[in-house]
Amino acid sequence: MQTLNYPNVQETLYRVVLDNGLEVIVLPKEGFNKTYATFSTKYGSVDNRFSVGNQPPVQVPDGIAHFLEHKMFEEPTGDIFAVFASQGASANAFTSFDRTVYLFSATEQINENLETLINFVQNPYFTDANVEKEKGIIEQEINMYRDNADWRVYFGLIDALYHEHPVHIDIAGTAESIRQIDKETLYRCYETFYHPSNMLLFVVGGVKADEVFELIRANQAGKSFEPQGEIKRYFEEEPASVKITRKVTELPVSLPKCMMGFKERHVNLTGEALLRQEVTTKLMLDALIGPSSKLYQQLYENDLISDSFGHEFNSSSGYAFSVIGGDTPNPDELLKQFRSAVEDILKTGIEPAAFERSKRKKIGGYLRMLNSPEAIAGEFTRYRFRDSNMFDVLDFYESCTLEDVNQRLREHFDFNQLAVSIVEQPAK
Amino acid sequence: MTQFERGQLQRIRLHVLPTKRFKTFAISMFAGLTLDEATVTPVALIPFVLRRGTADTPETIAFREKLDDLYGAGFGFDVYKRGDSQIVQFRMDVINEKFVSSNQSLLAASLHFLGDVITDPLIDNNGFRAKYVDAEKTTLKKRLESIVNDKIRYAAERCLEEMCANEPYRLHPLGKLEEINAITPTSLYEHYKEWLDNAALDLYVVGDTTLDEVSQLVKSAFKVNEGAPSPYVRPKVDHVVKEVKKVTDRMEVSQGKLNLGLRIGVGYDDDAYPAALMYNGILGGYPHSKLFLNVREKESLAYYAASRLDGHKGICTIQSGIEFANYDRAVAIIQAQLESMKQGELSELELDQTKAMISNHLRELQDSAYEMIAYDFNSVLTGKQRSAQQLLEQVQAVTAADIVKVAERVQLDTIYFLRDRKEA
Repeated sequence: MQTLNYPNVQETLYRVVLDNGLEVIVLPKEGFNKTYATFSTKYGSVDNRFSVGNQPPVQVPDGIAHFLEHKMFEEPTGDIFAVFASQGASANAFTSFDRTVYLFSATEQINENLETLINFVQNPYFTDANVEKEKGIIEQEINMYRDNADWRVYFGLIDALYHEHPVHIDIAGTAESIRQIDKETLYRCYETFYHPSNMLLFVVGGVKADEVFELIRANQAGKSFEPQGEIKRYFEEEPASVKITRKVTELPVSLPKCMMGFKERHVNLTGEALLRQEVTTKLMLDALIGPSSKLYQQLYENDLISDSFGHEFNSSSGYAFSVIGGDTPNPDELLKQFRSAVEDILKTGIEPAAFERSKRKKIGGYLRMLNSPEAIAGEFTRYRFRDSNMFDVLDFYESCTLEDVNQRLREHFDFNQLAVSIVEQPAK
Repeated sequence: MTQFERGQLQRIRLHVLPTKRFKTFAISMFAGLTLDEATVTPVALIPFVLRRGTADTPETIAFREKLDDLYGAGFGFDVYKRGDSQIVQFRMDVINEKFVSSNQSLLAASLHFLGDVITDPLIDNNGFRAKYVDAEKTTLKKRLESIVNDKIRYAAERCLEEMCANEPYRLHPLGKLEEINAITPTSLYEHYKEWLDNAALDLYVVGDTTLDEVSQLVKSAFKVNEGAPSPYVRPKVDHVVKEVKKVTDRMEVSQGKLNLGLRIGVGYDDDAYPAALMYNGILGGYPHSKLFLNVREKESLAYYAASRLDGHKGICTIQSGIEFANYDRAVAIIQAQLESMKQGELSELELDQTKAMISNHLRELQDSAYEMIAYDFNSVLTGKQRSAQQLLEQVQAVTAADIVKVAERVQLDTIYFLRDRKEA
């Protein structure tokens, strides 16, 4: 058992990698009633073409990782939600671009719930009938998102940014793509990506690390997994340019929604370098257009943005882009004023005082995040799957300099790399 | 479980929970007034204007910078309805200074900040600053207009509006669009003074502090008139439904949003409240509930099918997203679930699962400062003292017969459907 101390945030992690490759991390939180556990596979919507060992690559239908997530909850004995409910746990799951996460939170019967979590995720049960039945449910989920303007403007932007990379595909797929899914393909994906060596169990809350490890060890010792060759993921070559500079979607909305995205040209970073880039970019974006920036105030006073205006940065090896925007009465004027202000700041750099404030704010935000077991488990796993460590983030914020931020500013804001997604009222 | 310590300072009730469990101080100020057509809009606008600047820090940018300097203290507000009250809640969330190289008390600085925002606003010529009032009127208008953007929420609010058409509860907590234009900087300031003098004020702090420390800090930070704290008015929850109301709206949507409103006749302070929680839990609160199993898992009609209980208004609402053509089938299946609750078709398993889920929720809320605050505030709102532990025990004791008694009081009031524009 490895013990990892982080005295600056008063947290201690315990880590074990089992013989079958499963990584288990425990973060005991003294005084917490709740235990929150996530069992995650490094498998998301972008992993649609892959091979294992020497086998030839396969291409699978869009939306299959998410479909698989839905189907995992069905066991020969019935619905797994019922088992969790009997044990007082609330369970859920989600699929993102690069991972699928199964989780529960509970205050009692923690051992039983941990066993249930591991066992149901390690026991696929797909039949022709239960796969067919799920298609109707997922089609309604897809329709629900079709009516969601925030979702449409966001995915519209990613679609405008990327030509080939599967990050631009809807996580749930389309009604057409999910119709192609069958139980054989589901098993194929399952066997590839749900091998213990591709998974991480994270347990945080009122637990003792050695007890958790003992339980997981005993559970895994009772199951056999063939050693698995290396998983290779294949992506088409992605051009550096954006696919479409402006994408417009029509939906009934009170005000247009407008999001701008800058696509990074260099996306070969991994591990610590990737994390450092993320931290620096987030700090830079906050100093530039966070709620206390001059630019934000200017846009707000000119009635071009509202409280919904925000920004984020998404990065992984293979793709990286910012998302900046919100509701606006006039997308073109917003773009114009934003561009002109950013071009001015590109000449002068970020103000030192603004940089210091944003840095403090990011440090405070990071510490506040550590109050939430859900956020810790989520962030830790996200970073771990990118070979980096969430607990390095504080150091990176503290050591980040004004020069780092200004360099990032100049690298990131290349207006040739801008795409815009707009959702607006249908023309009458 | 640790308990809140109570105090009082002029018109403000103080509630402090000393604990070392969090890396932060969580602060909430609740200001509640009875929902009233005449005041709902200006009251909704007040917090929007207050967050633009104070007498001490008039410029918005400097105001925001102050928050950043407190290690990015979280600051926000929300306006919502509870029972027949309109509540403005201000929230602050600041880290404990022991985690950073700071020698100022971040709790003191935050309470001062909040005190200034709420009780010492920026005043020009006997009114709020005109520029801020104008800008925030626009913001409020946009917020009200944007309700339609989220179709799931829009349908839920339309259902309540139709259901409570003759009660103050029909009002949106952010007020009425058509009344915003007439508000002026001076009229708003008059409303503000009245609001501060009449609202029920409750200040909560959770973190590594004491009631004494908070009292001292509030005394110097908040300028509130002398007087006794205001109570909350108990809403009426008994309501007789004469006829089920059916409403359909049409809009460009891909999916139909079906919402049903039920009168359950049980309020938070009712002894039957634990049984009402169980009723809602078995009907549609969870993925093991009747609605999820029958509408989604058995019939594949929907991705979501759930119910929600509002104990402060005695209402239970059901929501689901379906194909337009499946309206009749979905309504029939949902009504069959309501009927089966009345007939007492409640298995031991359903009871056990639902008790376990509700109990888990009540234990989990102890891990979140804001959830503890929200739970405790229920007792301020209703006058009903019932700790999470007591509620947990009462839920454990609920029998199938108790739930049937609630089911017998339940009346379907409204069926609302948001669908596409094509005529069927």
